[in-house]
Amino acid sequence: MEPELLLAAAAALGLAVAFAPPRVPRASLLIWGLLGLAGMAAIALAPTLDLVILILLVLAVLQARLTSHRDFVTRLRAPILAVALLAVGLAFERMQGPVVLERFGAVGIVAGLVAAIGLLPYAHEFDAQESVVASPIPWIAFVGPLLAATVMTHARQVIPADAGDAFGAMLIGLGLLNMLGGSLGSWRTAGDASAWRYSFMADWGLAMCGFGLAIADGRAAALIMLFSIVLGRLPLYLWSRQALREKVPTDRPINLVVAAVLAGSAPFAGFPARVLLLRGATQLYWPLALVLAAGMLLWLPGALRLGRSMGVPRGRQAVGVAIVLALNVLLGVYPQPLLTLAGL
Amino acid sequence: MVAAAFVAWLGAALVVLADGRRGQALGLALLTAALAVLAWPAGMAFGAVAIAIGGLVAAARCWRSGPPTWAIMPAGSTPRLVLCIASGLLALWVAASLTTGTGAPLRFTVLVVVGLMGARIQMSREAPVVMTAIAAFALALGVAPGLAPTAPGPVAAIVGALIAGGVMFVAAGRARLAPSSAEKDGA
Repeated sequence: MEPELLLAAAAALGLAVAFAPPRVPRASLLIWGLLGLAGMAAIALAPTLDLVILILLVLAVLQARLTSHRDFVTRLRAPILAVALLAVGLAFERMQGPVVLERFGAVGIVAGLVAAIGLLPYAHEFDAQESVVASPIPWIAFVGPLLAATVMTHARQVIPADAGDAFGAMLIGLGLLNMLGGSLGSWRTAGDASAWRYSFMADWGLAMCGFGLAIADGRAAALIMLFSIVLGRLPLYLWSRQALREKVPTDRPINLVVAAVLAGSAPFAGFPARVLLLRGATQLYWPLALVLAAGMLLWLPGALRLGRSMGVPRGRQAVGVAIVLALNVLLGVYPQPLLTLAGL
Repeated sequence: MVAAAFVAWLGAALVVLADGRRGQALGLALLTAALAVLAWPAGMAFGAVAIAIGGLVAAARCWRSGPPTWAIMPAGSTPRLVLCIASGLLALWVAASLTTGTGAPLRFTVLVVVGLMGARIQMSREAPVVMTAIAAFALALGVAPGLAPTAPGPVAAIVGALIAGGVMFVAAGRARLAPSSAEKDGA
């Protein structure tokens, strides 16, 4: 799963740089994006979870030293909390002791992952005026998907079967929290930029539920969801920033199509992910599928709002939006090649 | 090994309790020595050397940067003292009573150092203090693979040592008050 997500992140960076609005400093975006990609490649190649945690520490320090509205120490707090929780969780898994310690270890690893990505209840401090590279967005939409896939792979190796249930339950519980908090937040919050950030959380909620189900359908749903974050929501957010500053909501057909992508409706990438997730949840415990289905309805108001906030893409941006829509249709209509590549 | 674990706790406590560069450097040096001693029998002889070098480079850099004061336990540091003692007792209970098997000193050290450094970073506002805590954090993460039942190899220890040595040379980013370039920065 990791190589595919790394390629998706590279493609997202290419799209963001090639079709960036005229006033965006592309060189800076490219340099920091490539640095992030190098870190992600190191995470994907790391043979142990210890090394992943150390690379995460390096990435956190490098990002925090960027000039920003928020000070260095404030920006480091959430990633350092993530590193500490992951390290303590991993240490508990390695100690010989009662089963409850292994369960605490599983809780620590999931909590650390959530804190690293910036999901509820450890949402990173967000400033709408901040540049994207210095903001929490790279954690939730660029580095986060690959980090989550890598941590999941390593965690399944170190967490014993006795604590596996606690691990899955934590993922599903926090997934539902983010799904509800994120979709309600993207609908009700005051600022459009914050609404975009909450929408990332909502998508992550579905991905975490998929990981937590621990069956092939769940993992496939999580992979498609992560792809739709990296190759759908992230570039659309980047291209919406100018319109967000101008604060002119628009109601053109293109805004409705973008809203459909963000809501995960057919034929876009979010749709097969939702279907697979519901199928997996039905196999495992049908009331969970009921809760998920009800939660998925909450995407619509937030997606319509975000679609309107996108403005009318022109010039290069319009080409970029068209490519993103095409990619999402491709993933939505025929996701099998991606799943086969990932061995699912 | 028990003495090394105590020295590690003392070093970590000094990093938490000191606000001056000298106190922090002394804490980091003590912690480095203790972690190197604990890593050696955990199957990480080469890693122990790397930890020693990386930690001492970080301690030397810490000694030479910032105002030359000790500032150990300045006024208002009682909560930090309570944190050091309580975290030490909790880690001791987990490492010596709750868990079984050999390597209790290393278990104690990893838990107490990661916990104390994490707390130090969460409660600090000064970048040099945070950098020192990150260096100590990286050293502890470098020896943590020693908790695994199989010999872990030196890679994590070397990476941890490199981070500890390198992070002290990183300049902290400045906070910007006016949204100057953000106005034009869609990225």
